[in-house]
Amino acid sequence: MSTMNQAKVEKYRNDFLKEVTANVEEGEWVKMCMQCGVCAGSCPFGPYWEHPPQEIFMMIRAGKREEVLTSTSMWMCTSCYNCIARCPRELPITHIMHGLAHYADRLGLAPKNQPTRKFANLFWNNLTKKGRANELKLGIALYFMNGFIEGIKTALKMQKMGLNMFKTKRLSPMELLGGHGIKDTGGLHAILKKAREIELANAEKFNG
Amino acid sequence: MADIIATNETILVVGGGISGMTAAIEAAECGKQVILIEKGPSVGGRVSQLYKYFPKLCHPTCGLEINLRRLKGNKNVRLLTMTEVSEVSGEAGNYSVTLKTTPRYVNENCTACGACSEVVDAEFDDAYNYGLGKRKGAYLPNKMAYPQRYVLDPQIIGTPDATKAKEACKYDAIDLEMQEESNTITVGAIIWATGWQPYDANKIQPYGYDRIANVITSVEFERLMDPHGPTGGKLLRPSDGKEAKDIAFIQCAGSRDRNYLKHCSRICCMASLKQTTYVRERYADEGKATVYYIDIRAIDRIDDFYQKVKADENVTFIKSKVARIDEDKASGNPILHGVNTEGYHRYANQHDLVVLAVGMEPSVAQDEFPVKVTINEEGFIEQDEANGAIFAAGCSADALDVNRAVQNATASALRAIQVVNRAAGMEG
Amino acid sequence: MADEIKIGAYICQGCGIGDRVDTAQLAQVAQRDAKASIVREHAFLCNAEGVKMIQDDIDNEGVNRVAICACSRRAKTEAFNFEGVAITRGNLREGVIWIRPDTDEARETTQDMADDYVRMAVTEAKYMTPPKGDDNTKYTPKVLIVGGGVSGMTAAVEAAKAGYQCTIVEKSGALGGAAAKAWKRIPQHAPYADPEDTGVAELIKAVEESDKITVHLNSHLTKTSGAPGRFSADITTESGSTTTENFGAIVQASGYFEYDARQLPELGYGKSANVVTQAELDAMAKEADGGPIKTKDGKEVNSVAFIQCAGQRSEKEGHLPYCSGHCCLTSIKQAMYFKDQNPDIDTNVIYTDLRTPGAGGEDFYRSGQQKGITFTKGAVSEVVASGDALEVKFKDLILDEDTSEKVDLVVLATGQVPNSGVDIEAMAAVVEGEEDGAEPEEPTAVQVPVESILNLTYRQGPDVPHLKYGFNDSHFICFPYETRRTGIYTTGPVRRPMDMQQAIEDATGAAMKAIQAIENAAKGRAAHPRSGDLSFPSFRREGCTQCKRCTVECPFGAIDEDEERYPQFNEERCRRCGTCMGACPVRVISFENYSVDSVGQQLKIVDIPDEFEEKPRILALACENDAYPALDMAAMNKVEYSAFVRVIPVRCLGSVNLIWITDALNSGYDGVVMMGCQKGENYQCHFVRGSEIAHVRMSKVDDTLQSLSLEPERVSVHEVAITDIERAPALINEMAETIEKIGMSPFKF
Repeated sequence: MSTMNQAKVEKYRNDFLKEVTANVEEGEWVKMCMQCGVCAGSCPFGPYWEHPPQEIFMMIRAGKREEVLTSTSMWMCTSCYNCIARCPRELPITHIMHGLAHYADRLGLAPKNQPTRKFANLFWNNLTKKGRANELKLGIALYFMNGFIEGIKTALKMQKMGLNMFKTKRLSPMELLGGHGIKDTGGLHAILKKAREIELANAEKFNG
Repeated sequence: MADIIATNETILVVGGGISGMTAAIEAAECGKQVILIEKGPSVGGRVSQLYKYFPKLCHPTCGLEINLRRLKGNKNVRLLTMTEVSEVSGEAGNYSVTLKTTPRYVNENCTACGACSEVVDAEFDDAYNYGLGKRKGAYLPNKMAYPQRYVLDPQIIGTPDATKAKEACKYDAIDLEMQEESNTITVGAIIWATGWQPYDANKIQPYGYDRIANVITSVEFERLMDPHGPTGGKLLRPSDGKEAKDIAFIQCAGSRDRNYLKHCSRICCMASLKQTTYVRERYADEGKATVYYIDIRAIDRIDDFYQKVKADENVTFIKSKVARIDEDKASGNPILHGVNTEGYHRYANQHDLVVLAVGMEPSVAQDEFPVKVTINEEGFIEQDEANGAIFAAGCSADALDVNRAVQNATASALRAIQVVNRAAGMEG
Repeated sequence: MADEIKIGAYICQGCGIGDRVDTAQLAQVAQRDAKASIVREHAFLCNAEGVKMIQDDIDNEGVNRVAICACSRRAKTEAFNFEGVAITRGNLREGVIWIRPDTDEARETTQDMADDYVRMAVTEAKYMTPPKGDDNTKYTPKVLIVGGGVSGMTAAVEAAKAGYQCTIVEKSGALGGAAAKAWKRIPQHAPYADPEDTGVAELIKAVEESDKITVHLNSHLTKTSGAPGRFSADITTESGSTTTENFGAIVQASGYFEYDARQLPELGYGKSANVVTQAELDAMAKEADGGPIKTKDGKEVNSVAFIQCAGQRSEKEGHLPYCSGHCCLTSIKQAMYFKDQNPDIDTNVIYTDLRTPGAGGEDFYRSGQQKGITFTKGAVSEVVASGDALEVKFKDLILDEDTSEKVDLVVLATGQVPNSGVDIEAMAAVVEGEEDGAEPEEPTAVQVPVESILNLTYRQGPDVPHLKYGFNDSHFICFPYETRRTGIYTTGPVRRPMDMQQAIEDATGAAMKAIQAIENAAKGRAAHPRSGDLSFPSFRREGCTQCKRCTVECPFGAIDEDEERYPQFNEERCRRCGTCMGACPVRVISFENYSVDSVGQQLKIVDIPDEFEEKPRILALACENDAYPALDMAAMNKVEYSAFVRVIPVRCLGSVNLIWITDALNSGYDGVVMMGCQKGENYQCHFVRGSEIAHVRMSKVDDTLQSLSLEPERVSVHEVAITDIERAPALINEMAETIEKIGMSPFKF
């Protein structure tokens, strides 16, 4: 258990709703849910979730901390915003899902092999390095996400498309060497660092 | 209408639905002078469009008949139809009210013989049946209509139909020259009872009311059951006129929803429970009903009605706000998608017909009030001393069922009487 | 009015009547057969000229009975509205030409029909007297209010504001009732976000400051007699001194009892001091007055569970079968007591259906959530006291699992039990049962101390009849204040479960009805539903056999018995339904404008063709409020029915006297059809039991039929609704077919 997680458990004891309210982006909305289930029914990925949003909200109220934070469910959100559009209480459900995922990640409770989570991490790391997505590196990283053999197989399978993309200049092999980026990478990193500080400070403020 | 006699001891009641009629009659039976105005051509309001009342399953027209008899027999009430308030000034005990009366094109000579209707060709959507059927350009609003007098649709004025109607009338009852009239009267107190309208179901896009023929509203469903209605009392669905035996009821269609109406409309749960009994009434064991709900609000003594419906094995309850409705193109059946939140069960259910339990929206939009009163966010008139002697009655005050609306209207009548009695110097 | 009867008969030719029937013949019939003094035909009777013609006859010719033979009595009422005369209507339009085909074959029977309706209208007029009203009316502009809680005080203050004197009788030593014990109330104004002051103190102040309101504390009613306009009440104090006062009307605001939570041991009540009811919690909050609410043993509360529907909405023995309506909002209010004082206190509301209706209700629910109150859809099975804490065991209905929650305090949302006095119908049933030697009925599930509230001296019992579950509610959706005791209106939670805001609205309306009863009584006018009717029942004492049927059957308890055991009519209590008239076996009861003769002579003047003409006659007696309008509307739809029927509207099927049936059969009618309203639990009869009583009476008509050797099928009784526009005509046609099958009556002369 991470120290941060340990600290949160001690701090909120069994009041998980309070913990979510304080620590999760838009988490203060969770208490406003009236369990109508329109979000659960509206989600295009609904059938693939273990727990739909409305159920997660109930689990939060019921204090099911472990189950919620280790759940793969909120990682399934593709930000289609159907739930937000239809929620009769105007809960920013999409944001809450991302908030919960992010919080679980920070606490080190997020499921390790959840594919969208892996994708998200790869994408983020790829993007933040130079401020531009390096599609070649991202593609390759995704091919090899599940191991070397798997990576080779996928690469071979995609070979033709890759070549076509090279030919039509949709992809440059030069990207492998560093690749293009924004002018002031340092500035971007400073912004991201500051953002993280603010976020942590906010979390601490709630905690305090 | 120069003969309207009104003083600061007169009570003006705006709206001739059940609440307005009640307020007017109750005050008049106390000996007060009342002017009752109604925007439409006849009194009775929304309740006259209902098939049955919950929880007794009795017919609204039965009580309406009594109220009409009370109204007809009481000389203290002056009824003005096709009339609206256009302006109000003054203060409690002394209001000056301008009334606008639109032409009916039919005078009191009308015997309701129906000859004009027979010769007129033009047909229009019948508002009494929520557009489910057509009516002639010369028409009696409904069989219970009071005044029992025909109306010419303004759209036929200037057309050959109007002339034909006039020629067909043996009693010189059709007056094509009738003009809009404006009258200013003095009254002591005003009871505002303009009621409600069903929430516009087109706005609830995921339910496809505008796209799927077999998705209708709860008020339309009432018309299907009514023997005076467009199907003569048969439960036939719009797409193909087939009998609808498996019917879904969707609660909170527009209510308890910040995207539409944020308030709970109170009546819809009981109304849907009542309507499940219609399905059973028409089809006995073949009739099936499914109610999709968030909370069943069968409030107070009448919760037993819910218990009774719940015990019916042909009625299923699913705790779920339906997410969206598709149509099965081949059968025309609506398919409901959503999640039963009691234990998380996903469903895609087909029904013959879907009834949207649409919410109650106050009839007068917030910015269209001709009087200065305190209105809450939901559009209902708050009880507030700042309103002076303008008192809301019925669904102008809140989303109310008939029983509570009448109760509230009776209370409003007393509030108005207090003012006019003060004006009359009756109090000691 | 010892005036000479002078009948004017007016026959309209408009709306096709003149084209379809021979109105000259109708005029002749009116004069020759029915003996009208003046008979006039008019091409268009309801226009100004036609109306003037009639008015001139009234003014100049001394016409005092007007028989209008034109359209239905429901049509053109504005035109045919003459003062000081008796008016009858012969229904030639809706009753004849609109329900018969316009064919040569039908012409003769259509004319017969019209002839008869003219005869009937003129004859009815002959046997009617324009009611002149009661000379002995009393104006007592004073309202007696029983109960000094929010409902009672509101009724008093509102009636006083309209200029009426009020007297409140309160059995306890203080005004305020249950509401005075509450800390705050559910908000009544936008934004409906926070609990607000109860307003009880202000209300008490308004009562005390009003020079129109008198309050009797520690008092109750030991005797109430009389009728609207002249009630007499004995107000007795605890010490036993009694004062007698007169009142015009009564408002019963006797409130409710708290449900006895000791019947809920499974929810820990009585086992732990930390399981309390909502009422008890409000008392605790009042005690804390904004500070931390503490348990009985003085500990601070960190977590509370509210259990909704405790002992309510349940068929279990000892539970209330209904929902008390206010408890969801009350729990939200009470959870706010905790949250507003300390947001860290956990408050969980466990419910099955959260009921927060209207604009204010939903706003308040959201406000509660905003404040961090949690809501769990769950079914509680048990509350276990374990050490200091309480364990609430419940099934979480959303997560579909059995679970539990440990809390410091449990609040049970128990219901309201009406304080509605003696259940006079159950009492009557017990008495009847004892007379039959049967065991008395099982006592009702929820036991409350039963003391009479009003101690009425009425023959039918000391209190207002209960409707359901002990509530004194009205049965009618459209007429929520109507009780079965004229001039006595019930209000507040005695009528149905409700919160303070509803009680205030309800009591204002009840005050309105009380005032109206006073004004009506003073003028001798009937109350709803025959509002304004000035007639009242009179009875011929010398003919009375003291059989008591009228006193027993009157749905409104209007008839007492005098010392000599004769019926004693209380006009002001009477609703003019005529059930007494229908009940009387010796036919000594009648109204000026409705009597055994006014109907009986109509059916006798109908021309009964002899057997060989093959024109049977069917008498239809139709309730004027539902069946008759249904037939009218059928006519508007041009639904055809038998030309052999003669329809007579009756005030209520309960007013139908058996003699009419016997007379009809004796004089050669071939069938009799009666149409009343739905009876039974969900009765639609506006006079409550009229239809039911008629059905019972008519079940005995078989004896009559047997004695005449007639087939039982010749008489039928139906429940008909106002919407039965197809069925009502069909029932008539059915009788016509039956007659065709079984043949004509042998009693034709």
